[in-house]
Amino acid sequence: MSDIQSKPVISMAGVTKSFGLNQVLKGVSLDVAKGQVVAIIGPSGSGKTTLLRCINFLEEYDGGSIKIEGIEVGYKDAVGERRRRSDRDLAKLRGDAAMVFQQFNLFPHLTATQNVMLGLVKSRGKSKSEARQIAHRWLNRVGLSDKFDAMPSQLSGGQQQRVGIARAVAMEPKVLLLDEITSSLDPELVGEVLAVVKELAVEGRTMILVTHEMDFAKEVADRVVFTDQGHIMVDAPPATMFNEQPNDRLRAFLSRFGSFRH
Amino acid sequence: MGNYHFNFAIVWRYADKLFNGLLLSIELATLTIAIGMLIGLILALIELDGPRWARPLIRAYVEFVRNVPLLLLVYLIFYGIPSAVDLEYDATTSFVVTLSIYSGAYLVEILRAGLAAVPLGLVEAGKAIGLTPFGVLCYVRFPMALRIALPSLSNTYVSLFKDTSIASAIAVPELAYGMRWIEIQTFRTMEVYLLATPIYLLTSYAILMLLRLVERRYAITR
Amino acid sequence: MTIFLQTLPFLLDGLLTTLLVAGSVVLIAIVLGIPAGCALVFGPFWVKVPLRLYADFVRGVPILVLLYFVYYGLPAVQVNLSSMTAAVVALTAFKTAQIIEITRGAFQSIPTGQTDAAKSIGLGLMDRFVQVLAPQAVRRFLPPFINSLVDTVKGSSLVSLLGIVDLMLSLQQVIGRTHVALPLYLMGALMYFSINFPLSVLSRRLEKRFIY
Repeated sequence: MSDIQSKPVISMAGVTKSFGLNQVLKGVSLDVAKGQVVAIIGPSGSGKTTLLRCINFLEEYDGGSIKIEGIEVGYKDAVGERRRRSDRDLAKLRGDAAMVFQQFNLFPHLTATQNVMLGLVKSRGKSKSEARQIAHRWLNRVGLSDKFDAMPSQLSGGQQQRVGIARAVAMEPKVLLLDEITSSLDPELVGEVLAVVKELAVEGRTMILVTHEMDFAKEVADRVVFTDQGHIMVDAPPATMFNEQPNDRLRAFLSRFGSFRH
Repeated sequence: MGNYHFNFAIVWRYADKLFNGLLLSIELATLTIAIGMLIGLILALIELDGPRWARPLIRAYVEFVRNVPLLLLVYLIFYGIPSAVDLEYDATTSFVVTLSIYSGAYLVEILRAGLAAVPLGLVEAGKAIGLTPFGVLCYVRFPMALRIALPSLSNTYVSLFKDTSIASAIAVPELAYGMRWIEIQTFRTMEVYLLATPIYLLTSYAILMLLRLVERRYAITR
Repeated sequence: MTIFLQTLPFLLDGLLTTLLVAGSVVLIAIVLGIPAGCALVFGPFWVKVPLRLYADFVRGVPILVLLYFVYYGLPAVQVNLSSMTAAVVALTAFKTAQIIEITRGAFQSIPTGQTDAAKSIGLGLMDRFVQVLAPQAVRRFLPPFINSLVDTVKGSSLVSLLGIVDLMLSLQQVIGRTHVALPLYLMGALMYFSINFPLSVLSRRLEKRFIY
């Protein structure tokens, strides 16, 4: 938990996004400072995953701007006109907003170590031996020191997700994006993954997580953001968000999660 | 292109050969898939619920038919069997028998997969409302299996339609034979093919589209 | 029994021709079809549409009609091909369309999450293709491809109708001479079976092995 500093790592202003006729993001603005952990909660379809995916340009946003440390994601201002960045530019920038996925998305033909190494070698330009050292270090950190050469099919869901986290964090990203990373896990495996995320938060990493784990959001986040129908409805510290529940729709949403019923 | 003068008029005079040939091809395909499904259904049921000693026999049938060229099967049944056994039949009958046996082998696989994919809960529900095993089969398992297998069945039907062209090798007057016939009579090879090839394409496409409509209404996809 | 031994040399010659035809067709079709399939998946609109049309067109026509067209139809416009060339051209056109389809299926069955994950660790298009997508596509390509080889060998039997002395035609010639139809047809069937069955089995084994 750290103080708000002057230059935000992520600044989003008026972001809009439509899928066909359906406008999913209707003008979202959000700043995230260095070292902050922001949790995004909200009902399905409210746009929270889309928002996350716009930050690393997995989805192309239509209007507004998203900047990582001042650099516009996905587009560059060439003589006042906005043009889509080339694939090579995008690739370099994406490593700065590494993502951990709900479905893990580990590369099934590579070992755990190779999964973590790939981005380091191909995007960060590290040598293979250096990348391997870094990969092993991170796999140790997430508690998988005996699984260096395991294939994803040999790992449990919780283990796979921890590899996914290692893979993302090894890139030393400016911000870590976590997209409902425990939603696909059996309940007994959720704890081990959240423990890793908590450690990373305590270390001071900038993170944005979309989650349904309200208890976890309360424990780890500096700020909680509630989205609904493409807007940010509430942006508050966890205490305010969960205890006072200053919004009717928020109240209705939270009432579905037993422990927060008012 | 040289000195070739296209002359569609001559070819057009014999268009009825193409038209009748097309009809026959469609009839052959339809008859075959009906018989083939009967064979396939019976064998699939035996393989799923029947005696264990029957399974390798069915396997042998399927593997044999699927790994041997259709043309060879056609000759085998049309020329081979009458030479060894005292049986006589005309080319069309022979071809229907051959193609039915051929399609049966593919349909066993398709129907077996379809039957196996019927959720157990539905079968139990059928029993729970007092249906006999045969009743469950007729009213629950078969209709469901059919709907699940509909896309595969559509593709098989279109394939069979194209396979009817092989019947031309034993002078069955279907579409491909009609094409060759006109070409031999008129020497207008290019025109025949330019006319007739789209017939196959359009018919295949039309059948496929019709079946897609049926699929939309009835098929179940996971 | 002696019939079988006497006729075997002729049949083996035919078999060789069959394998030669099928083999050439497969090789050329791979060289043409795999890049075309990749272009169909990754290429721009003006590349995708003609390839799509080609694949659908060729596969909507029976192979026999294709063979007749190339061998009998083309001479009318001064393109005279020998029976062997015509056969290979027609069969290759068909097989290439098949391979384009298999390649397309191989790439499109890879979950989109793989591309997302590759993008998110900073890999560009070339790296995504080589490091992440192609390895997974190969494993999805091989089982249906090997299965399709069975179709090619079976389809090659149609060249007998063009007068090429493959296994099918040599079988008929031998039967014509000896008048022993059924046993020889069965023997011919066995010979085709002995090539195709191992391929079928291999394809199924590979399919099981490559399930992730």
